[in-house]
Amino acid sequence: MPDKTTLTFTPVIGIEIHIHLKTKSKVFCSCSADYTNDEPNSHICPVCMGLPGSMPVLNKAVVQQGMLAGMALNCTVQPTTYFFRKCYFYPDLPKNYQITQSDLPIAANGWLEIDDDAGNPKKIRINRLHLEEDAGKLHHSAADGRLEGAETSWVDYNRSGLPLAEIVSEPDVSSAREAVEYVTALRRRVRYAGASDADLEKGMMRFDANVSVKCSDGRWGRRVEVKNMNSFRALERAIEYEIKRQSKVLAEGGEVLQETRHWNDAKGTTTASRVKEFYRKFIVEPDLPPLVVSPQWVEEVRGMLPEMPNEKALRYKEMGLSEVDAGVLADSIDVAQYFEACVAAGANPLRAGNWVRTEVLRAVNDKQVGVTDLAVKPDTLAELIRRIDEGKLSTTLAKNVFEGLLEGLSLDEAVKKSGAAEGGVDANALENLVRATIEANPDVIGEIRSGKDTKGKKVKFLQGLVMRETKGQARPDEVAAAIESAIENLK
Amino acid sequence: MMELYELGVREIVEGIREKRFSALEVFDECLGRALACEGKVSALITATADTGRAHARQIDGYVAKGEPLGPLAGVPVILKDNICTHGIRTTAGSRILGRWAPPYSATVWDLLSSAGAVLLGKSNMDEFAMGNTCGTSAFGPTANPWDVSRVPGGSSGGSAASVAAGYVPFALGSDTGGSIRQPASYCGIFGLKPTYGLVSRYGLIAYGSSLDQIGPFTRSVEDMELIMHVLARHDPKDSTSVDKSEIDFTRRESKGEKPLKGKRVALVKEFQDFTLDPPIADAIKRLIRIFEEMGAEIAQVSLPTVARYAVACYYAIAASEAHTNLARFDGVRYGYTVTTAAGLRDMFEEVRSKGFGAEVKSRIIAGTCLTEPVRSEEYYVAATRVRTLIAEEFRKAFENVDCILQPVTPSLPGKIGESDEDAMKGYESDLYTLPVNMAGLPGFSFCTGYSDSGLPVGLQLVGPRWSDKNLLNMGFELEKVLGAPKIARGGN
Repeated sequence: MPDKTTLTFTPVIGIEIHIHLKTKSKVFCSCSADYTNDEPNSHICPVCMGLPGSMPVLNKAVVQQGMLAGMALNCTVQPTTYFFRKCYFYPDLPKNYQITQSDLPIAANGWLEIDDDAGNPKKIRINRLHLEEDAGKLHHSAADGRLEGAETSWVDYNRSGLPLAEIVSEPDVSSAREAVEYVTALRRRVRYAGASDADLEKGMMRFDANVSVKCSDGRWGRRVEVKNMNSFRALERAIEYEIKRQSKVLAEGGEVLQETRHWNDAKGTTTASRVKEFYRKFIVEPDLPPLVVSPQWVEEVRGMLPEMPNEKALRYKEMGLSEVDAGVLADSIDVAQYFEACVAAGANPLRAGNWVRTEVLRAVNDKQVGVTDLAVKPDTLAELIRRIDEGKLSTTLAKNVFEGLLEGLSLDEAVKKSGAAEGGVDANALENLVRATIEANPDVIGEIRSGKDTKGKKVKFLQGLVMRETKGQARPDEVAAAIESAIENLK
Repeated sequence: MMELYELGVREIVEGIREKRFSALEVFDECLGRALACEGKVSALITATADTGRAHARQIDGYVAKGEPLGPLAGVPVILKDNICTHGIRTTAGSRILGRWAPPYSATVWDLLSSAGAVLLGKSNMDEFAMGNTCGTSAFGPTANPWDVSRVPGGSSGGSAASVAAGYVPFALGSDTGGSIRQPASYCGIFGLKPTYGLVSRYGLIAYGSSLDQIGPFTRSVEDMELIMHVLARHDPKDSTSVDKSEIDFTRRESKGEKPLKGKRVALVKEFQDFTLDPPIADAIKRLIRIFEEMGAEIAQVSLPTVARYAVACYYAIAASEAHTNLARFDGVRYGYTVTTAAGLRDMFEEVRSKGFGAEVKSRIIAGTCLTEPVRSEEYYVAATRVRTLIAEEFRKAFENVDCILQPVTPSLPGKIGESDEDAMKGYESDLYTLPVNMAGLPGFSFCTGYSDSGLPVGLQLVGPRWSDKNLLNMGFELEKVLGAPKIARGGN
C-alpha cells in the first residue's frame, strides 16, 4: 500500500457545455423555440416528433448563432461541416437518434482566458463547438424523479428539436474554481454575442464535467463523466467532491473506474449511474446535405460580433475607471451599452460609470427588470450628470431626481418634484442670499473676521445655510466664493 | 367503345373538361374495376372509396361552375402505402404502423391532390419497401395481374399491379434499389425512378434515405410526362430536393423519320457475362435493332466497379440507413404498442419483436452490425467510399453516351412464395437496378412486349443525372414502335 502522506493529486478536468442557441424557431422545423409556460406538447410538428416520412431542414439562424458563439469563443469557423445520426434508444428522443455535428463541427480550435488558482492568466483551449438538436423532456412519477422505478412517465416534446451548441473544452481545467470561472466567462461571452441567453434556471445552459486525477506516484485514475449539475455552485461542489473521491480511491491503492456518475445536489455526492450508458454510434445524416458556409457569410457574421467583455473592461480602465467598476460595467452587454450610450451623450465617463454601477444597477435589482427596460434612458442620465457637473444640482438632490426619473417623469418634472429651483440660482439672487445669511449670523462673521476660523469650518457652515436656502441649486464653489467676497467687502 | 377505366391520364382529363363523362363516373368505374380484380390480385391495403368519391364530386362541381381545373382534375390515383396521406392510414406494409393515420401529407400527395388527382387507394408493398416480390407485406402478398400465381415484383408491387390491371391510369411507388422499375417490368407498364432529388421525398416513410426516390407508374409515356410535370418541383421541406424547374416534361420536339439520330445508346460490357432468360435476351437484341432503325448508334461502356461491388455496397448502405430510419418505431409516440411490458426496455423489445416482420428485422440487425463502431470503417464507411467510385464510373461513361440499355431483371416474374426461399439468387437480379440508386441516376423501365407464356418483358434505360426527360423522350419514340402496354386480365 502506498504511503498516503507523501502522495499528491493533480486533477485534470474537461468541461462539456450545452447551450440553447437563441432563435425564433427550432433547429430543423418551424416550431417556435419559445415554449416557456406553454402546455406540454403544444410546440410540436411531424419533424420534431420524428414522424415517419418527416425530414429535417436546417434553420439558417441556428448556423448563424452557432458561428457567432464560436467566434465569441475564439474558434475558427469551418467552411464545410456535416451532420450525423447519433443512435441510441431513449423515449425523449423521437427518432431514437440525435442529429448532431459531433466531431465535424461548425467551429473549432478556440480558447478562453481565465485566472488560474494563483491569479495568473491561463488559456483554456476549446476543442470544438458543434450544432445539434435537443431532446424532449421526461417527467417521472417516481419519488426521485428518475425513470427507473417510476410507475408512469410522461414525455413533453416541446423541447425536442431546440437548437443546441455543445462546447467541448480540452482537459485544461485544474480545479473546481477554474471550472466555474471558465463557465462564467463562457456564459458572459455567448450572452454578449447574442448567441444564447444561457439562462441556467430555464435549462438553457447545462454542463457535464470529465474529471480524472493524476497521482504523484505516476498512477492515473480513469476519466469519470459527472452529470446533472444545474448551477455554477453545483458544478463547483460536484467537481470538488469528485476530486476528493478519486484522490481517496487512488490514495488507498484502488482503481478509479471509467464511468458516468450522477451529481446529487441534496446529498452533495456523486453516485454511479444505475443505467448502463447506452451504446452510441454514428452514420452520416442522409437527409441533410453538407453544411457549407461561404467566406462572405462568415465575414458578415463576424461583423455582427460585438466588442467582447475583456476588451471592453480594458478600454474602460483606459478611460480612467477602476478595475472593479470596469469589470462590473462590462459584465453584461446591456449594462455596458447603457454606460457607453451615457458617455456618448456627453457624460463624464468616471461619473457615468459610478452612476451606472451604483444607482442604475440598484434600480435594475430593485425593480427586477433589464437595464434596457428602465424608464431612465442613458441620454437622460447623461443630462442629469451634466447638471451635477455644472453645479445646477447637488449629488444628493440628483439622486432624488433620479428616483423621479425611474417613476417615468421627464427630467424637468423630476427636478421640479425634487424641490430644486429650476435653472440654478443667478448671481444677484445668490448675492442677496449671502448678504441676508451674513446679516443673520453676526457671531459667526465675528469669529471669521477675528481669524479664529483657521480650518474654514465656519465658512463651510455658512455655505451650508446658503445651499439649503437655494434648495441645492447653487454651485457650492460659487457659494463659497460669494461668502468669502462678501466678508472681504465687510472689512 | 373503351371502358372508362381503360383510359389514360390525358384522356380522362380531357373527357372531364369536355363533359363527356364526370369525375365521379371515372372514379366509380375504376373502383369497380379494382373491386373486380382485388379478390385475386390484392393490390390494395386500403381503398379510399368514400373520400375519393367526395373528392370526385368536388371536381365535378368545379366543372359545372366552370371554375379552373388542375392539370390532373378527376384522375384516380393509387399511392404506395409508404407515402403519407393526411388522415388516411399509411402502413408501409407493416404491422407496426397497421393503424397509423398520419397527421400530415407527403409533398407528392399535396402536389397531386392540388392538381386534382383523386385518391382511390393505398397499395400493398413489401414491408418498409424491403423486398422485391410484395411477399414481405404484413398484409399478405399481391399477385401479378398477368398471371395471379406469379409475383408482381416489389417493393411497389401493389402500385404496379393496380396500374397494369386498370384500377387507375397512374400510381406512385418508391424505388430504393429497383422497387419501381422491377415491378413495372413484371407487370408490363412504364415505371420511372427519377434522378435523386428531382421529386420530393418529404412524407415518404424512409428505407434508405440516400437511395429512396418516389416515381410514377403509367400505361403511356405521355401520361408519365404529365405526372412528372406535376411532381418535379423543388420542395423546401426536403433538403435533398433540387430545383430543376427548367426541365419542362410536357414539351417534346417533333422528330422526323430518324427521331433518335445522333443518340448513343450503350450496352454494359460486364453485364454481358451474365445469363438472361431467353425472352429478355431476345428483347435486348430486338431493341438494339429498333434503336438503330431510329437512327441511334449502339455503343459499349465498361463499368467494372459497378459490376463487382455495387450490390454488396448497396446492401451495406441501405441496411445502415434503414436501421436508423426504423429506430423510431418504439411504441412510445404512435403505431403499434403494448401496455403490458414490465419496463421501458421490455416495451421496446416487445413492440419491435411483434411489430416488425422477419425481413425487416434481418436488415435492422445487418445495419446494426455494419455500423458498430468497431466495424463501421470496414463496412459502412468503406461502402460509402465505393459508392463515390461508382457514381464517378457512371459519370465518365455518360461523357460518351446518352443512355444505357440494360435488363431490369435477368428473369421473368416467379411464382408466389418461390423467390422467398433463395436470398442469394437475388444478387444478379439486383445488379441491374441497385447501381442506379447508388449513383442517384434516373432509370426508366418499359414494356417491350410479351413472352410466349403471356408475361410482359421489360427493359430499362439509364441516363446521367437530370436526363429524365431525355429518357422519356426516347421512351415515347419506343412506345410508337412497341405499342402501348395492354391492360392485364387481373385474374378475370
